[in-house]
Amino acid sequence: MKAFRYERPTTVEAAVRAHAGGALLKANGIDVLDRMKERLDQPDRVVTLVDVPGLDRVERRPDGSLSIGAMTTLATLAASADVAAACPTLATAAGQAASPALRNRATLGGNLGQHTRCGYYRFASFRCFKRGDADCPVQAPGGVQEPAGIFGIDLCACAHPSSLAPVLAAGGAVAVVASAKGERRVPVAALYEPPARGKASDWVLGEGDVLVRVEVPPVVAGSHRVGYEEVRQKAAFDWPLVVGAVWVAARDGVVADARVWLGAVAPSPWRAEAAEKALVGKPFTAAQAAVAGEAAVAGATPLPGTAYKVELVKVVVRRALVAALERRS
Amino acid sequence: MGRTGHEGGGPPGLSRRELLRGAGLAAAAGATLLPAARALAADAPADLRVQGPDAVELTLTVNGAPRTVAAAPRDTLLDVLRLPLDLTGAKKVCDRGTCGACTVLLDGKPVYACSVLALDVAGRSVTTAEGVVGGAGRAVADAFVAKDAMQCGFCTPGMLVACAAAVAEHGPSLTLEQARAATAGNLCRCGTYPHVLEAALAAAKTAKGR
Ligand SMILES: Cc1cc2nc3c(=O)[nH]c(=O)nc-3n(C[C@H](O)[C@H](O)[C@H](O)COP(=O)(O)OP(=O)(O)OC[C@H]3O[C@@H](n4cnc5c(N)ncnc54)[C@H](O)[C@@H]3O)c2cc1C
Ligand code: SF4
Ligand code: FES
Ligand code: FES
Repeated sequence: MKAFRYERPTTVEAAVRAHAGGALLKANGIDVLDRMKERLDQPDRVVTLVDVPGLDRVERRPDGSLSIGAMTTLATLAASADVAAACPTLATAAGQAASPALRNRATLGGNLGQHTRCGYYRFASFRCFKRGDADCPVQAPGGVQEPAGIFGIDLCACAHPSSLAPVLAAGGAVAVVASAKGERRVPVAALYEPPARGKASDWVLGEGDVLVRVEVPPVVAGSHRVGYEEVRQKAAFDWPLVVGAVWVAARDGVVADARVWLGAVAPSPWRAEAAEKALVGKPFTAAQAAVAGEAAVAGATPLPGTAYKVELVKVVVRRALVAALERRS
Repeated sequence: MGRTGHEGGGPPGLSRRELLRGAGLAAAAGATLLPAARALAADAPADLRVQGPDAVELTLTVNGAPRTVAAAPRDTLLDVLRLPLDLTGAKKVCDRGTCGACTVLLDGKPVYACSVLALDVAGRSVTTAEGVVGGAGRAVADAFVAKDAMQCGFCTPGMLVACAAAVAEHGPSLTLEQARAATAGNLCRCGTYPHVLEAALAAAKTAKGR
């Protein structure tokens, strides 16, 4: 790791200033240290959020919604009674991610901001469109494709690593971002944009943008149901192969509104709109869950090495919907 | 800077470890006297503290005792534990948070020392495998021996720390499922998992209830 000057603000304003001035932003550093050790990032200045008080707070507000500070750890999310009550799938996803030692450090902000795990991206000796090269070696003959995506992969084929982002997007969560111009609110569903050459991260936050907290509307018992399902190669200590998160509003057994989000299948969290359409206006049943699972792969353009993910998506969406259907809350 | 121990040889008669440790202490003395660094700190606004890029003084509690070392911003907690503190229980295997060989307790909770910046844990309490063996986790270490829970031993200090944390958390009620979950972030290339889990459960039986 190259030597750097360490800037430790005690206010969000000072963090914004330092980040706007070109310092690399670090939360607890799990992803940032990896990138610096590999010399993908070689900053002269690093600004950290570890000394800013109050960013690790989880609050249940009077309307039942959650306000989760960006520095809240995944272990805290998994163990919080407030999170379990207001958005149980977030607690599940956080509790299944990574490993106990990582969850004790991994922050929500860092989880949403982590860069892709694509093996080509992660080693500077490979070519990579995201790091500025003209093409993507995953698509080239002999490219290692298995971890890659199946949707929206024409320029960069990577899979978004966060298992929490699809849950938050499905739940209608909003990211609150501080910058020199003040605070702005960005729905998690709009937090990522399509890949661009030389743009390492696909999220919309730029220099000077600091995620302060994420607000999650409550899952209202009797009206809303949520489900989460993931498939992993190993039961723990790795990123998932496919993630499915669903949010369903049903009245008298009929679906009034549905949101179906997928993780690890596209460069960004992926909204399965066709699956949502397959649900709305129909009875909320296990049979309809299977129909929605089939619909979820509409528009997939798998590579030979990622074709297996098409089948996983169908299963994951069906299971997440069945879990939502059966959840007693 | 060679303090992470990857760089080549030194003068004969002095082990590389001793040489490097000496260099670390010299750097500490230099950093506290450096006028440029002081001037920089004085210029900084009240809501921003600046450290480095050179080493600064760092005090933390290690295995129950306060320790003061020189650490640069880029040094990980693992770097500082192994050199200059000479606590080599925590192993540097992947250095990427993907194996668990460097597991230590930070304020009682397991973390990977390779993925934590040393300066981030100033003033906090760190327990390494050495501290576990010399303290409340002795019974877990004894159970590792009794149950033959190691082969090459490379994962062992990390496994031990993870198991000791599980035993401390759950006491005699520790289940196989919980022991498995607690060690899910510790890879063993030799595949000693069954013996490790047996050792954790055996040690838990002798632990005081919560
Ligand atoms: C072995 C392993 C397995 C893992 N498994 C999973 C898994 O199953 N599911 C999953 O979802 N994740 C998984 N992770 C990823 C892990 O959750 C993230 O690395 C972690 O959450 C990052 O948090 P951090 O505080 O260390 O972030 P940092 O490394 O400090 O930051 C990460 C990125 O986010 C940006 N950032 C951080 N906070 C903010 C903020 N407040 N505002 C703006 N930008 C910010 C930083 O600039 C940086 O680019 C795994 C990681 C490892 C090493
Ligand atoms: S998939 Fe994306 S991140 Fe991976 S090599 Fe191609 S462009 Fe780079
Ligand atoms: S050396 Fe830290 S997890 Fe492998
Ligand atoms: S005993 Fe060899 S790696 Fe675990």
